[in-house]
Amino acid sequence: MDRRSFLTAAGATVSASVAGCAGLGGGGEESSTDESTGTGTSTGDAGGADETLVVGTYSAFVDSPSTSPGAWVKQRFEEEFDARLIWQTPSNEVNHYIERRNAGVDIEADMYLGLNTDHLVRVDENLDDGLFAEVGDVAGQDDIKPGLQFDPDGRAIPYDTGYISLVFDGTATTAPETFDGLLADEHAGDLITQNPASSATGRAFLLHTVKQFGPDGYLDYWSDLQDNDVRVLGSWSDAYSAWSGGEAPMVVSYSTDQVFADRNDANMEKHQIRFLNDQGYANPEGMAVFEGADTPDLAREFMGFLLRPEIQGEIAVRNVQFPATESADLPADYAELAQEPPEPVTFGYDELRGSVSGWISDWERQFASN
Amino acid sequence: MARDVDGGAAGAGSDDSETATETASRPSGEQGRSVRTTIERRGVVGLAVATIALLLGIFYYPVATVFVDSVLVDGRWTAQVFVSILQDPFYFGELARLLSGEPVRAVIESIRSPDRRLGVIGFTTYQAALSTVASVALGLPAAYLLARFEFPGRRTLRSLTILPFVLPSIMVAVGFVATFGQNGTLNAVLGALGLGEVNLLFTLEAVVIAHAFYNAPLVARVTTAAWESVDASAVETARSLGASPLRAFRDVVAPQLVPSVLMGAALTFVFTFSTFPIVLALGGFQLATVEVFVYRLIRDLEYAEAAALALIELGISLGLLYAYLRYEARHTVQSRGIRPLPRRPLTPPSFSIRELLPRAGLAAYAVVALAVFVAPIASMVLASLSGPEGLTLANYRFLVDRQTTGASFQVQPWDAVRNSLLFGVASLAVALPMGVVVAVLTTRDYRGRKVVDAVAMAPLAVSGIVVGLGLLRGLVFGFEIGGTRLAVGGGLAIVAAHAVAGYPFVVRTVAPGLEGIDRTLVESARALGAPRARALLDIELPLVWPAVVAGAAFAFAISIGEFSATIVLASGTNQFTMPIAIERFIGRRLGPATAMGVVLLVVTSASFLLIDRLGGDDVGF
Repeated sequence: MDRRSFLTAAGATVSASVAGCAGLGGGGEESSTDESTGTGTSTGDAGGADETLVVGTYSAFVDSPSTSPGAWVKQRFEEEFDARLIWQTPSNEVNHYIERRNAGVDIEADMYLGLNTDHLVRVDENLDDGLFAEVGDVAGQDDIKPGLQFDPDGRAIPYDTGYISLVFDGTATTAPETFDGLLADEHAGDLITQNPASSATGRAFLLHTVKQFGPDGYLDYWSDLQDNDVRVLGSWSDAYSAWSGGEAPMVVSYSTDQVFADRNDANMEKHQIRFLNDQGYANPEGMAVFEGADTPDLAREFMGFLLRPEIQGEIAVRNVQFPATESADLPADYAELAQEPPEPVTFGYDELRGSVSGWISDWERQFASN
Repeated sequence: MARDVDGGAAGAGSDDSETATETASRPSGEQGRSVRTTIERRGVVGLAVATIALLLGIFYYPVATVFVDSVLVDGRWTAQVFVSILQDPFYFGELARLLSGEPVRAVIESIRSPDRRLGVIGFTTYQAALSTVASVALGLPAAYLLARFEFPGRRTLRSLTILPFVLPSIMVAVGFVATFGQNGTLNAVLGALGLGEVNLLFTLEAVVIAHAFYNAPLVARVTTAAWESVDASAVETARSLGASPLRAFRDVVAPQLVPSVLMGAALTFVFTFSTFPIVLALGGFQLATVEVFVYRLIRDLEYAEAAALALIELGISLGLLYAYLRYEARHTVQSRGIRPLPRRPLTPPSFSIRELLPRAGLAAYAVVALAVFVAPIASMVLASLSGPEGLTLANYRFLVDRQTTGASFQVQPWDAVRNSLLFGVASLAVALPMGVVVAVLTTRDYRGRKVVDAVAMAPLAVSGIVVGLGLLRGLVFGFEIGGTRLAVGGGLAIVAAHAVAGYPFVVRTVAPGLEGIDRTLVESARALGAPRARALLDIELPLVWPAVVAGAAFAFAISIGEFSATIVLASGTNQFTMPIAIERFIGRRLGPATAMGVVLLVVTSASFLLIDRLGGDDVGF
């Protein structure tokens, strides 16, 4: 019996008497009792069928209403590796683990899947001790597209990426080719984007404008955009549903939009993609192993598994993102529907660290000043 | 009622005062009571102590762990975070300049100038005030209809007025886009009538209407109850003395309604003051409220500023509630109506102006109510039945598929329904006794009881995410005693969060009733030897039973609709509730989420009808 299932079993009995039912089973393996703080004394010898890998991720990866890769990945991995894969989807995502580490409470996952560059920045700005360990050797790492690697300290490895672009209804408008084109009178009130503080797409779009106009110029551009009636809504789903309802013809979303539209036999004319200035902001998603993980070796094997061509292709299709590797096996029509920008742009870790919260906060202060 | 004063004081004090009360409440010379009477005698005090301990454990201590971040920065006590927020024009507009020491006259001048800055907090206050006015304006005619007219389905309609309360904001946003959007129902109707289009979305108006959607039913509910307890004989006396119906209303009825209307208004203000998802979904970031920034700061783990901002928000809301409670204390109507005003039939008995005019007004109101309340809900139901090729059951099939073939780590519809009901019942079981006890404590006479009352109302004004975070740190992470970590499971923490959010409604519905009870009834019971607890159970609670049931309905509704604390605390899919399932089912298409929304509507409607039926025919609120 490995340590975790022992703890879970023991925790269940102890905590039942102390505090009643803890949330056992399902996505969350919360044991209510811990052996002091997370010192991470992994047994390391728990090979064989008993070995368990607990992976924290965001809920859409395992539980979106259309498709999500989670169940498929779990099945394939368990078949091949004779191990148990447990998905954990805390609603606070990475913050959940930062909170636990800060409070000195044991982290019950081995690795996290779905790290953004700005998550990593947040982790490092809020924790003196590391949350993630340096990953070391992982099979297939060399196949990752250049430019997607975002962690200078070698903890996070990208497994997929999205490109943020405009999606527009071609029956109602033709999106401009450039950022400046968005300021034209004919596009007044045409664009919906998202709150950069709480939405990945909104944040990417804001960062794209910082990339384009520089930290000294992006606020002026936004002032002009605001004069041209840009709408900033709360979340991607707020924005996308308002856009689908015909409130405005353009929305900031992903350049894989047609993959979904095609699946639902939608009119492609209504799902057109535009890369402003021929650029798309890349939002690579990475994975990393927690320091003190119980099964770090299994975690690395899992990472190598995810980077294999056939798995990369399947994740791309099911997660509706682009693979992180050059070698992914993608279905023939994927490339037709999912569009890659002529020039991907993104900010690296070093550029975001120390800057990103200031950029967002300055933007908030300008945009919402009453 | 000296002993009641002691009971209240014991509640606020420590264990010592409990024994003191016991001694005080024992009339000299009387000895040797049975165990049962001892329990009954000490019952109220015991409950009070337990309630206060529970409140400290599941609300004040956890929330304090968050708020302390605002004054304890890097291990040092400081007021700097507050000072910088108070002096920041971004938050406080022109007022901030006052706080940073500029002369009063200059600030007043700039406030009067047209290009003044309200600041985020000023704007939040402004929109909350507008939302309150709209909610009262939309709620009062409904109260008039429900209290003064008889028609088939009146009771069902009254039970269902609580429904908007539980609808997750995403559902309301879906319904509002479909109703008030560019291509929405409203514009279709206006177009068919040959009138021009209106574009309401992304405006302050849309946000205010959505807030009225949530809160007008609350105003209607509390006002209906007050109207139903107006004593008919008082009106008849006024009329027999020659007062016109209008005059009788102004002098007799209206004064009895005003406290309830103000209570509905105060609660509406508090809720809309801490609003956030509706603003971002229907208005846009340019209309951002304080809560938007509290959320953002917490998400970025900037706890000092987040906590300070949340405390300022709490201070403003509590100040308003306190002002209302002071007012309420001065305007309680003693001895409530024994014989309610007779309801009139909705079909006019004659075609006189006096009969037709109010009904014509109600007909006009019905059109507005259809647009604001019915159309968004109908649009949501319709959206759940729509697919690319018209009407379809595909979204409901998704729910069935997810239930039968979904993986264990995915949210399953039935489990969400079951969890919602379980948490609802469990938090009701906690909130109802807590609320009744607090109501008893705050209707006794002692100095500063309005402060106690306001403090007891604090959970209404603390945002769910702060409560959730506090419970996470304070209870779920637990604390170490002798090397063992004591912690509370996520499920219990969720019940705690829901109970804490719900009990103030029990207090606010039960307390005015308790206050209005004829004191002589209770005094006679006590004189005849009934212990305090027995007088409460046998005399007082039956008299205010409709209010207790009403409080129960609110507590249950709060639990069903709660989202932000639940999502922070839920530690796995087996703790997800219906609102969380809805959020998880949102994808490129809203179909599955709207189908789950309809499930929520059906389950909660049934629950409210059931709860209200338990209240008998004279359900208060």
